[in-house]
Amino acid sequence: MSARDEILNKLRSRSRQPDTHPPAWRSRRHFDDLAERFAESLGKSKGEVIRAGSLDEAFEQLDQTLLALGARCVVANDEPPLSQIDLAARWPGMQWHIVGRTPGDLRGFCATADAGVSSVVAALAETGSVVVTSGPGKSRLATLLPPVHIALVPESCLTADLYTFTAARQGPPPAMQTLISGPSKTADIEQTMAVGVHGPKRFIVILYRD
Amino acid sequence: MSESKRIALMVTCLVDQVMPEVGVAAVRLLQRAGYTVDFPTEQTCCGQPFFNSGFRDQAVKLARRAVEIFEPYDAVVLPSGSCTTMIRAEYPHVLEAWPEWYERARQLAAKTYELSEFLVHWARWQPPHVANAPTLTYHDSCHMNRLLHLKQEPRTLLTAAGCTIVEMNESDRCCGFGGVFSIRLPEVSNAMTAEKVRRAAATEAGLLVSSDPGCLMQMRGMIKNTPLRAEHLATVLEELTR
Amino acid sequence: MTEVTFKQFRSAAAGAIADPRLQSAIDGATLKFRTERHHALTELPDVDAMRDQLKAIRAATLSRLADHLETFERQATATGAKVHWARDAAEANQIAIDIARQHGVELIVKTKSMATEETHLNHALIDAGITPVETDLGEWIIQLAGEPPSHIVGPALHKTRQQVAELFSKEVGRELDPDDIPGLTAEARRLLREKFLAAGLGITGANLAVAETGSIVLVTNEGNGRLVTSAPPVQIALVGIEKIAPTWDDAAVWLQLLARSSTGQPLSIYTTAITGPAKADDPDGPREVHIILMDNGRSNQIGTGYEEVLECIRCGACLNACPVYQEVGGHSYGNPYSGPIGAVLVPLLFGLKEYEALPHASSLCTACLDACPVRINLPRMLLDLRRDEVQGRMLSPVERFIEQAAAYVLGHYRLYRLLTGTARIFQRPLVRGRFLRVPRRVNPAGERDLPSLAKRSFHDLWDEIR
Repeated sequence: MSARDEILNKLRSRSRQPDTHPPAWRSRRHFDDLAERFAESLGKSKGEVIRAGSLDEAFEQLDQTLLALGARCVVANDEPPLSQIDLAARWPGMQWHIVGRTPGDLRGFCATADAGVSSVVAALAETGSVVVTSGPGKSRLATLLPPVHIALVPESCLTADLYTFTAARQGPPPAMQTLISGPSKTADIEQTMAVGVHGPKRFIVILYRD
Repeated sequence: MSESKRIALMVTCLVDQVMPEVGVAAVRLLQRAGYTVDFPTEQTCCGQPFFNSGFRDQAVKLARRAVEIFEPYDAVVLPSGSCTTMIRAEYPHVLEAWPEWYERARQLAAKTYELSEFLVHWARWQPPHVANAPTLTYHDSCHMNRLLHLKQEPRTLLTAAGCTIVEMNESDRCCGFGGVFSIRLPEVSNAMTAEKVRRAAATEAGLLVSSDPGCLMQMRGMIKNTPLRAEHLATVLEELTR
Repeated sequence: MTEVTFKQFRSAAAGAIADPRLQSAIDGATLKFRTERHHALTELPDVDAMRDQLKAIRAATLSRLADHLETFERQATATGAKVHWARDAAEANQIAIDIARQHGVELIVKTKSMATEETHLNHALIDAGITPVETDLGEWIIQLAGEPPSHIVGPALHKTRQQVAELFSKEVGRELDPDDIPGLTAEARRLLREKFLAAGLGITGANLAVAETGSIVLVTNEGNGRLVTSAPPVQIALVGIEKIAPTWDDAAVWLQLLARSSTGQPLSIYTTAITGPAKADDPDGPREVHIILMDNGRSNQIGTGYEEVLECIRCGACLNACPVYQEVGGHSYGNPYSGPIGAVLVPLLFGLKEYEALPHASSLCTACLDACPVRINLPRMLLDLRRDEVQGRMLSPVERFIEQAAAYVLGHYRLYRLLTGTARIFQRPLVRGRFLRVPRRVNPAGERDLPSLAKRSFHDLWDEIR
């Protein structure tokens, strides 16, 4: 008998009377101001939040952030709202890799880039988390290998918490989905917090009204 | 209050043999609260040591024996949080294979009380306030606190009697006794007790009070080089309310 | 076969207790975990209901585990992942080695995984000529030190920064400053980044697996879980068969309580779900995903009084709460699973005879029961394991005799009074106040003073005070 059948048969022959599965837990959280809560929670885990009143203002904030970083090489996922503008034309002094459009070695570029820019599919107010996924034009490494990850987050994608997010999911999931709640960190050496052990050392969210 | 009720003291084997003054104090306190106390003399041990070391058959025999001895009473009071837990939480479980015994165990469990619990909730006894009552720190014994949820009751009594309680860091941390554990793994047990005693001593209260004879015996064994004295709630209260 | 006898446990524990550096490391770490867990849970207004929900989810899932595993397999397969089944550790390791060999892999990057610790996968890989590199900072530290993890969540919490600096210095070939923890972390980032980009295979465990979508969920703070599942072209996830959440709604409860109970975070920094290999139009990600569902003794617990142990979500809260763990440290348990959960799980999975001391490594203080987000009754199972030892005649005949004789005496109160009365007479030469003066080497309580019997028992006093 195969290992599979042996294990399943054993489980079936031993199982007790099945319990009724409990009904799904539904969110009990209500936040008067989702954006405010999001910013507060992400701040607690050392994420940075920049508020912007509009998409245009968000791009201006992105300008200033990249300038302040002194970024020269930037990788960007090819997704709205980033795909709505010509990044290379807006920042002619920088070297850009637009995922799926710029030819060449994506992985090598990500490994040496100064920053990675992406959008998100959702943001959870309670925990200050954003959700990024894989897909066409959406690189896993772009938000992971560079020392800084900048995410453009429209307020319309805010939801209360993990429960409201999972309850609203539709269709099959992408191959990769990550909830990001701050910069990469570790406390493995004497419980002392250190940021940027493997992932980005800085996680900057530009939260804009849309 | 029903002074006509028949109250039995289950003194526990440890109090009987090692610290009988705790039993005497418990009787006096119950009397002061207006009760006549009976002491069924055939009693020995609740069986917890055997239950804890895996000797179930032996625990079953002693549990049945205690059920028979104590079931005629209206209430059973113990000066020990952990023996109270044995009867309340474990007797029905230990005897569950025998429906008749299970039912009797449940009935006994429903009328069994730890001393401070009985004094506060059933006797509604309030000790008179004493001037110059001692400053002390209180050790929450594990089963009494986490399984019976009796954390406030001993403090209520001590405070009413005028004592000042200086809480130690993590008063609900185990003292290291654990019954046969203290003999099987003495190095570990003693290290836990040393930690407990350190935390108690850090309060500079001088007096360490607990409601469990097992914890007291354990902590007394490790306080020789400290300024601490470890006493049972019953003896402290009894002296204060004489 | 590994063993943890009483003698071994006591000697390992005594070593740990006598090591002040280790003691302060464990105390500091467990206190921090405990405090942060406490804050994270108490800030939730409905935490008790949420814990009840997780308990109900885990119990119900285990009662129909075969169905959920089949659903998982079907869904994962539909996404293009390959699902393998392993009866035991050796089979699981062999499947991983075979996959590595098929791809000609020489270097593997790994995330922290208790399942791969359980199977000693790294040893098996090395024996097969393949180099595994742990990428969780704590795991990497202990891999460099050649030690097993000492804590489920903080595998290297027993290591001081000096020890870490020494290990890293050897690795980079120059002296690193132990007081510069960000600097040490940066060195690890640099060294491990090379490994991530060079590895042909990534191996992960799974914090949980979601049946309805066939997803593997990984929780990390460092981001190594993301890297291991993004950089190498092939991924393997080794998953214990009990780690199934039927739906994403169930997974959400699990993830919330996992993060809050383990490190006290509302959510870990990265919660990553991998659902099959990268799609054809994904710019990066693994082209192959293999999932190994491993039994290794788990199915033996189903339908028994120990089924509840499989509800564990490996948060480590019971270790942080346990005063025994805090004294003896993780290594005393002789297995990657330590603390209260280890004391129950290890004898159940790997043999009660072999791990006879573990069910006794507890004062039954029930702090673990309070701490467990799934409310697993570990004290109850410790007691049942002790019962099994007695019924299986695993204890020494001497101990058996003493227990039985004591119970007999306590069952006959005249005999009890006679013998305790006699003992009062015989103890006289040894009595010093409340204590007995017993030479240390014959004192079963070690350095602790044994109590003397009171001059008169309560039974003796009763007639006078009634």
